[in-house]
Amino acid sequence: MRMKNLFIWDVKFQARYGFYLLYTFLTILYAAFILALPISWKERAAAILIYSDPAAMGLFFMGAIVLLEKSQRVTAFMSITPVSAREYVASKVFSLCAISVVVAVIMAAASGSRSVISVAMGTLLASTVYTLCGIIVATKIVSLNQFILATVPVEIVGFVPAVLGLFLDLHPGFRLYPPVACMELVAGKEPSAVGMLLTILTIILLFWTACRLVRKMWQEQGGVKL
Amino acid sequence: MIEVKNLTFSYTNKPFITDMNFDVKKGEIFGFLGPSGAGKSTLQKILLGMLPGYQGLATVGGTECRKHGDSFYQMIGVDFEYSTMYEKLTARENLEFFSSLYEGKKRPINELLERVGLENDADKKVSDYSKGMKSRLNFVKALIHDPELLFLDEPTSGLDPTNNRMMKDMILEEKKRGKTILLTTHNMQDATELCDRVAFIVGGQIYALDSPHNLIMSKGAAKLTYTWDENGERSGSCRLDCVADDQRLSKLISENRLLSIHSSEPTLNDIFIEITGRTLV
Repeated sequence: MRMKNLFIWDVKFQARYGFYLLYTFLTILYAAFILALPISWKERAAAILIYSDPAAMGLFFMGAIVLLEKSQRVTAFMSITPVSAREYVASKVFSLCAISVVVAVIMAAASGSRSVISVAMGTLLASTVYTLCGIIVATKIVSLNQFILATVPVEIVGFVPAVLGLFLDLHPGFRLYPPVACMELVAGKEPSAVGMLLTILTIILLFWTACRLVRKMWQEQGGVKL
Repeated sequence: MIEVKNLTFSYTNKPFITDMNFDVKKGEIFGFLGPSGAGKSTLQKILLGMLPGYQGLATVGGTECRKHGDSFYQMIGVDFEYSTMYEKLTARENLEFFSSLYEGKKRPINELLERVGLENDADKKVSDYSKGMKSRLNFVKALIHDPELLFLDEPTSGLDPTNNRMMKDMILEEKKRGKTILLTTHNMQDATELCDRVAFIVGGQIYALDSPHNLIMSKGAAKLTYTWDENGERSGSCRLDCVADDQRLSKLISENRLLSIHSSEPTLNDIFIEITGRTLV
């Protein structure tokens, strides 16, 4: 019940802070752009757009969300509620994944993709990975500038191999790399089973790390300054 | 409700809290008084289960603080000195959100808002609230899940005299409802008025622990001052333990000529300075 409430309120906060309005506008813009492209480009362009925005939105927005909660001391209060770090992290991940998947599915439909389910799955996995990375980075920073700098390495290791894999014949070993495996799904390709397994293991590891760091952040922020 | 025995805690090699002992009974208002850096924050973090690396015993509601589960916080309400609200949400939405994090029966939001005089501003964004309004909202947020134990940090800070009175009345009402309250304040008048017992904490140690009345009386009411009319108002004084020897006072009393008479007890602040050698800053 508490998990459900957290999720509902996270969605409400995101709506209140204009996420849904922004993504309605961006989705229309992206869909119009994809529709205007030549047929042979559509699927690949849609894959890059989906992977770089809705799938990765958690990486960019989590910093803003957690920094906002830190600045308003909501995280300090969270530390003395029955909410566990697990519930807090999971709720953030689910709420952002929900927007990511809906936007990705609309973009895939605009591109005429015949593998919308694969796109949704790839987006879901990539969004989970990036949102968790966003939370991990956000727990360690105190300003938005720091956050932007700290996410650059994540962007490089996450985006470069994945996008290159769409255009080049990379070494087969790259298919085991989680960002490449997610991109394969987003592009409607059949991913390698080991790649999927490693992606899931990466998510478990990132989730565990995020929970640990959130708990630590709460400990540092919480309590009463007397 | 709270039991602390031989509590020692350290952030470094040097002990920060040393061999602390006290207990807080159910339904009691217990005050922590001490200057900044005295160890009150650390003590509170230990009691809130946030610093598990202590030695000794620290139990809240029978649960050892270092071994608590998430449901531990079901019985605790904390009123931070600063606002802990989503500024873009209204007061009502904030209370609805924080209320949804707890299990069990909740207290009616409208009733609580009305009690602190915020019923007409319930649908205003918290960012539009004044400091005093945020302070009152923060307080009722701590009550929303009807906790057994309340940690109140400077609850009257930033309030005008009317709201200050209202807040103190509410704290006393919570006590009547059987709640245990841990109060931290620099306001000695509040501590004297509200607390059943207070602990003076300095340098991670408790220097004194008793009721404000006992602490004040233990130092004795130093002197008696009185005034009377004799070609204008005149005043006199004598030591409280020598009242019977003051002939003038006896005469004034027998002639009903006293205009005023009062003992000048030391304040809790005086006692704090005398016992700890520190001021409450």
